[in-house]
Order: sequence, then C-alpha cells, then structure tokens
Amino acid sequence: MPSTSLALTPGLASFLKSLKTNPIDTSIENLISLLKRRQIRHSRSCATATAYLLLRVISACRTSDPVKLIERVQSVGRRLVAAQAREMVVGNIVRRVLGLIRDEAEDDRDAEFALSEAGSESQPQTPRALDDTSFPLDRDSPSMRPDGDRSSSRPPLTSMFSLLSHPEPEASLPSTPGSASPGGRGPGQGSKDVRAEVLEGINEIIDELGQVDDQIAAYALDHIHSNEIILTHTSSTTVQKFLLKAAAKRKFTVIHAESFPNNHEATHATVSGTASSEDELMSVESFQKPLIALGITVILIPDSAVFALMSRVNKVILGTHSVLANGGLIAAAGTRVIARAAKVHQTPVVVVSGVYKLSPVYPFDFDSLIEYGDASKVLSYEDGDLVDKIEVQNPLYDYVPAELVDLYITNLGGHAPSYLYRIVSDHYRMEDISF
Amino acid sequence: MPPPSSSPTHICLLVKHISSASTMAEPVHPAPTMPFASSSSAPGPAQQSTAENPRQTQTLPIRDSKDANATNSDKAPHKGKDTTASAVGGDGAGDKALSPAELKKKAKAEKTARRAKEKLEREGPAPAVGGAPAAGAGGSQARPSATSKKDGAPGGSQKGQRAPPPRRGSVAAAQHGAAEQQKKRKEDKSVAVFGHLYGQQRRTTIAGAGKEVHPAVLALGLQMRDYVVCGSSARCVATLLAFKRVVESYTTPLGTSLSRHLTAHLSHQITYLSTCRPLSISQGNAIRALKLTIASIDPSTPETSAKATLCDFIDSFIREKITIADKVIADSAAQKISDGDVIVTFAGSSIVKETLLEAHRQGKRFRVSIIDSRPLFEGKNMARALANAGLDVQYSLVHAVSHAIKDATKVFLGAHAMTSNGRLYSRVGTALVAMSAKERAGGVEVPVIVCCETVKFTDRVALDSIVVNEIADADELVSPSPPQQVTDLPDPAAAAATAQSDSNKKGAHRAPSNPSADTPASSSDDSPLTKWKDTPNLQLLNIMYDVTPAEYVDMVVTEMGSLPPSAVPIVHRMSTNM
Repeated sequence: MPSTSLALTPGLASFLKSLKTNPIDTSIENLISLLKRRQIRHSRSCATATAYLLLRVISACRTSDPVKLIERVQSVGRRLVAAQAREMVVGNIVRRVLGLIRDEAEDDRDAEFALSEAGSESQPQTPRALDDTSFPLDRDSPSMRPDGDRSSSRPPLTSMFSLLSHPEPEASLPSTPGSASPGGRGPGQGSKDVRAEVLEGINEIIDELGQVDDQIAAYALDHIHSNEIILTHTSSTTVQKFLLKAAAKRKFTVIHAESFPNNHEATHATVSGTASSEDELMSVESFQKPLIALGITVILIPDSAVFALMSRVNKVILGTHSVLANGGLIAAAGTRVIARAAKVHQTPVVVVSGVYKLSPVYPFDFDSLIEYGDASKVLSYEDGDLVDKIEVQNPLYDYVPAELVDLYITNLGGHAPSYLYRIVSDHYRMEDISF
Repeated sequence: MPPPSSSPTHICLLVKHISSASTMAEPVHPAPTMPFASSSSAPGPAQQSTAENPRQTQTLPIRDSKDANATNSDKAPHKGKDTTASAVGGDGAGDKALSPAELKKKAKAEKTARRAKEKLEREGPAPAVGGAPAAGAGGSQARPSATSKKDGAPGGSQKGQRAPPPRRGSVAAAQHGAAEQQKKRKEDKSVAVFGHLYGQQRRTTIAGAGKEVHPAVLALGLQMRDYVVCGSSARCVATLLAFKRVVESYTTPLGTSLSRHLTAHLSHQITYLSTCRPLSISQGNAIRALKLTIASIDPSTPETSAKATLCDFIDSFIREKITIADKVIADSAAQKISDGDVIVTFAGSSIVKETLLEAHRQGKRFRVSIIDSRPLFEGKNMARALANAGLDVQYSLVHAVSHAIKDATKVFLGAHAMTSNGRLYSRVGTALVAMSAKERAGGVEVPVIVCCETVKFTDRVALDSIVVNEIADADELVSPSPPQQVTDLPDPAAAAATAQSDSNKKGAHRAPSNPSADTPASSSDDSPLTKWKDTPNLQLLNIMYDVTPAEYVDMVVTEMGSLPPSAVPIVHRMSTNM
C-alpha cells in the first residue's frame, strides 16, 4: 500500500528518487511545481528537498568559479522562493548554501594570501557549517579567522541594526569578484576545492536536517520535570521526539490539542500511535513509539478546551513552521491563542525548532506570511447550501509575537527570543539576506 | 412591551419540539421494554444485548469494577460459605434455626449472588466468546449458577449441583477476565483532574426510567442528551413545557395533597432528566421557582384550579423570564451595534442570533464573524440563519480566533450561566474568544458584550473551569472524520475527489513528515481514534463549558438592563426575591 501510493503521489520521496535520474533542469521544475502545488509541505521536507536539489545543482555546475556558482544558486533559489514564498526554509537553505560558497571563496583567497607561510589546508577546515554542534559556534567564527581582511570584504554582523537594515545585494557583489580574482589568477586547484567544499557543506546541512530533532531532543531532560503537565498542539515530529526523550526517564502528562480542521488526523494518529505508513517513506525518519507506549498519559482535547485546562498546565511546548529574526514565529493556526492563554495563566511557552527554520526575514506585514487553506475542511460539502452565502476562512498559520514565547530550544541549545537575531547573524551572511 | 409576534413563534417552536418528542418516543419505546422482559425471561438477554448497540457494553465498566470487588469479597468469606451452603441446604429441609450472624452472612451471600447474576445477564456477550451454550444456560439459570458459585466446591446444595461445575469455572473465569480488563480500561479513561465530574454516564436509553416519568419528559431527556434540544434557554423552556404536561396529566393520589405529592412526582422527572444530561443553571432556577409555587399552593385548593394555577405560572415564567426577556435583550443589545461594525461571536447562542437579526432588521450594516468549534458545531446553524436573513457572515473555527478577532469591533457572547463572582460560564472556547478580544496585538481592546437572561444567573461561584463543568461523551470527538465519509462516498471516489482538488486539499498538513503520499490510505481508514478506549494511556476529554474571567467581560445585557459583571449577584438576589 505505501509503495503504490508512493509511486502515485508526488512528494518528497518521489522527488528525491527522481533527482538522481532526471536532468537538473527537470528536477528544478519538478520541485517548483511540487512547491506550488503544495505537494511538499512542512518545513523539513521543503528544506531537505531544497538541499538535495542544490547539491545536484552545484555538482552539475561545470564551472568552479564562485561567482558563477553564486549566480547559479541565486537564480535557482529565486525561482524556488517565488514558487512558495511562505515556505521560508527554502530561502533559508538557499542562503546557507550561498553563505557556504562565499565562505569557501573567501577562505580560498585567504589561503592564497597565507600561502607563503601557512599550509593552504588549515583554513578551509573551517567552513561556515555552523550547524555542526561539536563546535562552540559563536566563538568559532570570529576567532578562527584573520580579522584584517574580513572587515574589508563584508560588514561586521554583530549589530542588530545592520541585521534589520536591508543591504542591497549589489553592494556586496563587487567584493565577490574581488575574491574571485585570485581564482582567475590561479584557476587550477583552488577553485576546484571550492566546489568540493561546498558540496561537503551541503551534505552537512542535509545531515543536520536529519539529526536536528534528535539534537533538540537531547535537551529535553533539562526542561521537563517529573509529574509535569505539558500542553502541545498539532503533530510536530520535533515536539514528539522531544517529549519521547523525556518520557524515557520521567513520567509526565501530555495534553494534546488536536488542531482541528487542518492537522487533526495526523494528531489523532500521533497520539494513538498509528502514524506509520507515511513515516516509512521518509528515510531520515524512523518513527518511534508513541508517547502512550512509554506509559505517558496523553489527553486529547479539542482546541476550544485549551483555556479551560491551561490553569493546570505547567508548560506549553510548541512546534513551529518557521521562526523569524525578531523572535516571533509562524506556526500552525491556533498556536497564537494557545500561547496567549499560556501567557494569561503565567505558563511558560517553549518553542522547539531546528535552526534551519530560523529565517533572517523580518516581515513588517505579518498577514503576508499567513497562508489560507482549504475552506471545505471547515465547512464540508454537506453544508453546500451555506457555502454560497457565507465566507469561510481557514488560515493555516498564525503569527505568534515574540513576547508570547519564553524560550526557544534549537539544536544549539536554549535561547531567549531576544537572542535569536544573533543566531541568525551566525548562520546567514548579510549579502544573502535578500538574495 | 408585549410582543405578540415573537413569543408565539418561540413557544410554537418549542411545542413542536415537545410534540415531536412524543412521536420520537414511540420508536424508542419498544427497545427499553426488552430489557425489562429480559430480566424475567431468561434466554433473551444474551442475544438481546449482543444485538443491541455496542454502547451498552461501553457502559459496563463502571458497574463491573464494582462487581470485581464483589467477586473478590465472594472469595474472602470462603470459610463461611460451607456454613451458608449447609444453611441453604438446611433451609430447604427447614430444620435448623439460623443464628443472626449466619443470617447476615446468608443475606450477604445472596446479595453477591444476585449481583453476580445481574452481571451475568448484562455481560451476555462477553462470556459468549467462551461458549455460547454456557452463556445461554447461564442466562436461563442465572440464579442457580450464581448460587453454585457461592456454595464453593464441597457439599453444594441441590441447587448448586444442578448447575454443572465446568460451567461455573468457565463463566467465572470469563467474568473475571472481562471484569478485570474492563476495570483497567475504565481506570484509564477518566482524566485525572476531572475525576469528580465523571459521576455517571449519560443515559443511553429510557430503559430503567421510573414508571412515574411522563412520556414527554422521557422524550425530552433523550433529546437533551442528543443535543436536539440544546442551549440553556431552550432546555429551560422545553423542560417547563414538559412539566406543564406532567402537571396537566397529574392526578393527586388519595390521601395526599397536591402541593406535597406533586413535588415528589416532579422530582422523579427531574432525576430522570438529570441522568440524561446534567441540568443547566436555568433549568435549576426554573425548577426551583416551580417547586416554590407548588409548595405555596394552599392544600385546600381544588385540584383543577391548582393545576390551572401551575400551568399559568409555567406559561408566565416562560414568557417573562425567557420570551420577553430575549426580546428585550435583543432590542437593547442591538442598539450597541452600529454601522460598519464587525461582530465576532462564538458558537450558537440563540439570543445573540436574535440580537444580530434585530440589528439587521433595524437596517444596520455590519459584518458577523462566527467562530465555531468541535464537536457540536453550533455556529453552523447560526451562520445559516443569519445568512438566510441576508447578513454578511464569515465563518471560521476556533483555530482562527486570532485572525477573526483582528478586525473585530465588538464581541457578542451568549451565556450558559453567569456566576456570582461575575464570571461567564459558557460553551467551551468562549474564554479563548474573550481573551483574544482583550489581549489583541495592537493593544486595542475590543468590547466583549454578554447577552444573558437573569434566569441564567446563579449564586454559585467559579474560579476555573475544572471544579464545575460537564463532561460529555468523549466519543463525540471521534466520529466525524473527513468530509468524504460524511457525504458517504465510496472510497475510490473519495480518493479521486481528493486527487482532483489536489492543489489545495491534498495532504494539507495531513501527515507530519510526508503528507501527500498518505492521502488515499488515510481516507480509506477510519479515524485512528476509533479504538481509543482500547489504547492504554490515551484519554479523550470533551468538556462542555469553560469559565471566562470577569475582567474579559465588559457588559452583561440582561432584561433588567446592561450591567457590569460585578452586578450579577445583586441582580440575582433581586430576581429570586421577587
């Protein structure tokens, strides 16, 4: 059954399968149409698809010139983002890849500067693959690099003001030809390294996407104590893994709001432990036992009962669709009212999210981020007489302002919402923010 | 002002309810008579209860846990059993006089036996798995089989020997296993903090209702249980109208007076109603007023005139407290609506509906945004009524509260009750809407206006939604899976339909990781929750009400004027003293 449906329905699995055989342009078109038709949904699927596609794009690039690579990735990235602007992870992955290329190009140039005294291999060892948690990341990037030429090539990223001011991408581009000019002088091994390093970096990103939930789950015991009552919403794999990790050691109670029209089926499947078939398709995803199998009491409630129960809840743990640089987040509809109810009851709200969902975009118009879904989920066909007369709304997402969130837990650890801008600046380069 | 136009329609509607109630009762009637028959004619029950709806078996656990104890205690006085057994045997011979202690033991043993027998009958389907003939025999000779159990192995009485030993073993084992299993299930399924609210399961049939219960009340109880009659005022009016019929058909038995006996008679009806669904505050208030009136009737009054007085009282109570009150509230609340308003309301309150229709009738131009919730979807009817009247209606579910509230200018809410500390006790989800109105992002608060008759005021107080609430059947949350099922399409067609409308619909958030691949599979399946009662550690909670803090309510519009929520206790005292 799953195999037939896999073959029939386009999605992440079929896309990844076809990626190896199809020519690169077909794959790009394929992903664009998948995004447009919403056949790839959810942050991680989109991110994985984008990363694999960019891997193909770069490995298919005949040139090794960083400028050309950047242009190529930018053009593909623009098309992908245009296809589905609200899946912000697509843009995030593109930015990360662009950052990788720029870093490699700069490291390459640094290496040539330093070629006379130091081995060229020492510098490319520090790519901007900050996803790797083995490094103490924040200190890593500034200290490991020579600072002298850094300031000339790009503006320092330590200020939040520079983060919010949108830099024109053209202003930074002249620096890149500058960095590429050594490549022009010695087009042989140096630039070839760039491509290999970038491919390696993308593979690291893909690895990160696979591990991110487990990395986040590793913090679970720091945040969940015994006999706690935890409220969550929708069927986020990240949240489930987080809770499962804690459930292995501690006993607590989970109240699960079902997020009715859009995600209740998946939520029901998650709480009752019947979520199976779709997870087999996902190679990175070997789904684990449901919480109830570990002896955790799970109480499923309709969304409307959240306020009534909030007075007994100790902690609200939420998944998210994407996180914005200002500390706010875009999450499944209903999240905002839950976070608000938690605030009213002085209940801490914890958001678990991979760093890849962290978007450098600062939206001034929040409504533009909200996607509206199928109205027939709200009002089914049996009420067809009503459909003509009334307006039915089914928003898929909510914007949750930063002040409603108490803590973010990413694969890098726990952060206050006000600290997120700093992680953003560690992960994306200024010149790529609006690529 | 007396509105002759609106009150008759209201009452007409409710009378229709009642009359339809009596017609509805007819198909229901035959069913409950069966269990009655079953207790006397034995082989019936096993098949009968297997044929009956599975709900019947769902109600078992509560009693079974008790019975499990009974069987345990059955074992404990084993020592005494031989004596009891001999006593039973001796009873037949009629030679020995029993000591009081022995008598007590005997009575106790008989009681356990009776319980075991009842259980056996109820549990017809369960042992049938072990062996159908055994169950049948157990049914037919339930009494002896139970005695045989009581007797223990040696020296069984004649009755005991008539029951063959193997049957006893199998039945007991089956019972025990089933009881244990069901006890476990039962323990799992009530949410701990709400333990105090899981008193009794709602009545599923009218079986076992006392013979004093009037048919109109019988039917009304079922209608209230099924939410056919739903909403605080509707339930109140329907109850009063049913009680009016009770009063009309009532004759005082010899040797009592109407004022004394009718109260007792009514309390049978009330008990029955409250087993169907816990009584609403308004029902309680109405019943209290009615009982007061009954008690104040002079015993010397002739029965016919007393009954006429009571019927008049009921009519005027409905008219004053609800029909006209609704009209007054709708009038004064409609004045709060001005042109260009965006009114947000939650679920389906009849009085808010009246208010909005009244404002529309007055020619005001405004938009209504109805927020609805699972599982009752009461807002749908309201949306239909308003749309048919030509209003501009927007409909969304509770997940979209923060979107709907964004451009709201006023929030109108209905009430189930107003507590004496000024809090609003209303359909679950109301608090979320009120909170969203008060905690908006821009900092601009939206006024929250509650429309509520004073008959819904209570002297009870509530701080949270947990101490006082009503638990509805959690299975209501399970049933309505995707729209495909409701329209009753065969599965391939449903899959095709999803495929056609794929761009929006396909796997919209269907699955956590890979949504689209799963669509046909999940639509062919039932909801994964259908077996939730068999799933350990999984609980479903379906509460009916929540309590909105008083600070979220700006104004309560009643028939006595528009008040702040803090005025509720004063008005309540005034209206009950009158």
